[in-house]
Amino acid sequence: MSAQFLDIVTTAAIFYVVAAGLLIIFGVMKIINFAHGGFLTIGGYAALIVTQLGLDPWLALPFAALVGLVIGALVERFVVRPLYARPLDAILATWGLGIIIGQLITIGFGREVQFVQSPVQGAALVLGESYSQYRLLLVLGALLLAALLAAVLHGTRLGLMTRAVIMNESLARGLGINSGLVRFATFSLGSALASLAGALITPLSSVDPNMGVPWLVNAFMLVLVSGASLVSLGVATLVLGGAQVLISAYGSPILGSLTIVVLAAVILRIRPQGFARE
Amino acid sequence: MSEAAAGGAAVAARSGSTREIKRVLRLALVGLAAVAAAPYLLDTYTVNILIRSLLYACVALTVDILWGYTGILTFGQSAFFGIGAYACGLAFSHLDLTPTVAILAFLGGLAVAAAVAALVGWLAFGYGVSPIYVSVVTLVLPIVVTQILFSGGTFTGSSSGLSGFDTFDLSIEAWFWIAGSALVILTAAAWIFVHSDAGRLLVAIRENEQRCEYLGIDTALLKTLLLVAAAIITAAAGYAYAGFTDVIAPELAGFVFGTELVIWVALGGRGTLIGPVAGTIVIDLVSAYLSGSLPFVWKLVIGLAFVVVIVALPQGLVPVVGGAWRRLRRRPASANGDGLPILQAAPPRPRLVGADGGPAVALHGLSRRYGSLRVLEGIDLAAGAGELVSLVGPNGAGKTTLIRCIADGHERSGGRVLVQGTDIGRRAPQRCVGFGIGRKFQTANVFETLTVAECLRLARARRERPSPWRREASLALPQAALQVMAATGLDRQLGTAVKHLSHGMKQALELAMVLALEPSVLLLDEPTAGLTKAERSLIGGILSGLARDHGLCILLVEHDLDFVREISSRIVVLHQGRIVLDGTVAEVIGSALVRTIYAGEEHAIAGAAG
Amino acid sequence: MTAAALELDRVSSGYGEALVIREVALSLAPGEIFALLGKNGMGKSTLLKTVMGYLPLAAGAVRLFGEAVAGLPPYRLARRGVAYSPQEQALFQDLSVGDNLRLGLADSALFAAGLERVGAFFPFLPERLRQRAGTLSGGEQKMLLVARALMARPRLLLIDEISEGLQPSIVQKLAEVLRAERAASQAAILLVEQNVHFARAVADRYAVLKRGEIVDSGRLDDAGAESRIVRELSV
Repeated sequence: MSAQFLDIVTTAAIFYVVAAGLLIIFGVMKIINFAHGGFLTIGGYAALIVTQLGLDPWLALPFAALVGLVIGALVERFVVRPLYARPLDAILATWGLGIIIGQLITIGFGREVQFVQSPVQGAALVLGESYSQYRLLLVLGALLLAALLAAVLHGTRLGLMTRAVIMNESLARGLGINSGLVRFATFSLGSALASLAGALITPLSSVDPNMGVPWLVNAFMLVLVSGASLVSLGVATLVLGGAQVLISAYGSPILGSLTIVVLAAVILRIRPQGFARE
Repeated sequence: MSEAAAGGAAVAARSGSTREIKRVLRLALVGLAAVAAAPYLLDTYTVNILIRSLLYACVALTVDILWGYTGILTFGQSAFFGIGAYACGLAFSHLDLTPTVAILAFLGGLAVAAAVAALVGWLAFGYGVSPIYVSVVTLVLPIVVTQILFSGGTFTGSSSGLSGFDTFDLSIEAWFWIAGSALVILTAAAWIFVHSDAGRLLVAIRENEQRCEYLGIDTALLKTLLLVAAAIITAAAGYAYAGFTDVIAPELAGFVFGTELVIWVALGGRGTLIGPVAGTIVIDLVSAYLSGSLPFVWKLVIGLAFVVVIVALPQGLVPVVGGAWRRLRRRPASANGDGLPILQAAPPRPRLVGADGGPAVALHGLSRRYGSLRVLEGIDLAAGAGELVSLVGPNGAGKTTLIRCIADGHERSGGRVLVQGTDIGRRAPQRCVGFGIGRKFQTANVFETLTVAECLRLARARRERPSPWRREASLALPQAALQVMAATGLDRQLGTAVKHLSHGMKQALELAMVLALEPSVLLLDEPTAGLTKAERSLIGGILSGLARDHGLCILLVEHDLDFVREISSRIVVLHQGRIVLDGTVAEVIGSALVRTIYAGEEHAIAGAAG
Repeated sequence: MTAAALELDRVSSGYGEALVIREVALSLAPGEIFALLGKNGMGKSTLLKTVMGYLPLAAGAVRLFGEAVAGLPPYRLARRGVAYSPQEQALFQDLSVGDNLRLGLADSALFAAGLERVGAFFPFLPERLRQRAGTLSGGEQKMLLVARALMARPRLLLIDEISEGLQPSIVQKLAEVLRAERAASQAAILLVEQNVHFARAVADRYAVLKRGEIVDSGRLDDAGAESRIVRELSV
């Protein structure tokens, strides 16, 4: 029972970390970044480089975020910016970017599955269960990330400007906010978060050039049911991630792997705003 | 235009349409000849690969119809391909290969694909569902189908699929002929369809679905039918694929293949038919040749080309390549009026009247709330045939909301709306049109890339089903619409693309389109906004004529009281969601209350009293 | 001669091909309050949006203190000292009063000083900084709107129908505030209004816009101006 509880919480935490970057880009720019999977993969390979160089595994996190930030900034400038008025085409172009990233990584690193050293190993005793320390750490990471995002959004001028652009871009521009710059910063940050998430999840499994795709689909559905709210995202990851854990346990793993996409599609059909308030 | 000249032009128009169809059929024959000859000219490896490419191209064609023409971005055509392929592979693996089994498996696969497509349509095109939802569902669909195939154990072969089952004993050449002639025939049929009167409907849905609905066209049904047709063609291609390759695997139904189809269509050129076909064949063929030597680089090139095309050349590569050629060869379209329909008067129809001869439109206790905000409250209003009732009131009074509540049964929160004595209930706009409602929007709501004639043809689609294969030589419109066209000169601009019309002409076109519906109740939201003075008085004259001579009941939202005074038979004043005054022009214009509402609150009351 | 705070030189603009305002010319001196009057749909809001850079000019020129500003995006105009209050969706309903005021400034460090100034006009604001703007009453929202516009000591204010739907005492209050601000900072103020009495209480000059063209203009204290305007607005 408590193992299942821990599974639900850690699964939700992992999904939260993975989807947060996609969500903030969607919130501010109203476009879905289908290169999100590619950025996750970039993060995974950044962690692999750190492992191959024999550096401290913790260095993988800032390194992945930095790589994501730089590539995200370039992508915003040259691919996403011309497509603001064509949101469907933005989906397609970023999907194409995902392909490019996947192929470049294949050419650079080979297509085989590789493993990354985990910064933390072993199990801890929690609630009477011996449980993976790294998964537990990810819960802490997700909480930290949520707190950090909340602090930036609600405690800084940049966060205030970002919220203003989310709520009413036209009014924000009239008040002196360069919304183009806010979009640029958001996309770069969202990409950095995606790569950070990629580095965080790789110790759980492995890296390969297509590792981002299944995550992308789940993250995409989670963001659609969460709207632009980080709080809704928390609810959505707990509910849908929890359902996935339970269905995998009591139904079948295959049904479990479909849980998020199918439930999210059903929720969106009944309630287009999903878990968001309005 | 004289009768004889009109008749001659009609013949010319029809022959224009049939001439184009004949040209396509001739090209198709050339294509079939090429297909017949190709196996003898190409090496076996190429022929082998091309069979697969040709089948993929059939599927790409359906993606182009759905996405390129109709605007339905689908990631899930692969699911239907997989359904067709598994229908073949499963039947042949688990049953003896007899003609009956083969035919039943074929039909069964098609039926399953059609049923799934109908389900997708029901999910995606329901009332109030967001337009992007269809892309979400078609993204989920291949994932679900793949997982179902994975979980099928030895029955489906799970992740490795099935292979080596007994299959049709056909030569490579025969398969090539089947796939090639299917592609040629499908492409020709699709070309004829999208260039027909009915085919324009697809573009109209992509461009402005709302206007289609308010022309009484059931777009949800049409889009679902398209999905089903596309699914059937795709499943048939999948069946052939499995029969030919003797292999089925879950990837055939997968999301990656689904997105690849979109990429091929985009690279070739969405909305061009020939572009997606050429794009698919070239990319798939080159992929096969490079798969040994440079697989990753080639995929990288495709990815790069895709991003560049989406960002910089959204129309794709084939139109760019073909553009220069076409500019050299083809005469400018419709420069000599060729292909334009001849306007005719539609036979007058008996006007719909309520059983009791009561008011044309009646509202009882109508209300509209958004959350706790009450936009309309307790509206009682009736208007009869031949009345021109103007709704006036300050911004936010609820005028446009009132119009919306009459034209769409979902809109109101409470009360009843009766049109010709029939309660509209919760019916969608396209059903309300059937009761005799015609709505003109505030800003001209037309189809920008279609021509004037095409817009009007769509407005008549409810009355005369548009031909799915040719362009009719004549276009019958009711008197009132013809009058508007003649008065504004639109009748001389039939071949002009709407985006080249002036703002005033677009307003007139939308009015003519609404009148082409032959409504008995006309709802007009600020029809003269942004028009010049001359245009305004012209429209004003037409409107009073419609009420007087044609017995239309007209409800008009208008800010300009000068204009209202000239044309109305009655004025209703809305303020803060309620009717505060309902009377003759003289009563309302002279009223102190109206001054209060429009000028300055209390002060004006004092002024009026003093 | 000092440059006009705002000068419109035969400005035409609109949406796409549809021109909503045609060849409008007007000029505001620093410290002048100008009321642009007219009924709904006559192009008043379009004019403000054009000045603010939301809509492109179809013809003519807009000059701010002598400098041509056509083509600049709205945020650049805001940074040059123009404060704009649109008629609709003018507040961030889900943000607090304090955050709405902060967004009136280019730098949150100036908040305390700005709040002190606008708090003197509207004493309820400093007490309710944490309240969500959407939960304020209609009148309070309008006062918050004016306060936000004044936070950064603008050189030019563009205010769209601030008096609409307000009770007379608040209208009176807003008129006093705007006149006091003008006296204190020599800001130029362009009001779009339908309420003649508010316009009279606050503005020096006026113009009436009808179907996108100026059909009447003059000083509001001229004899006969009011009756001409009222006739124009109510017919």
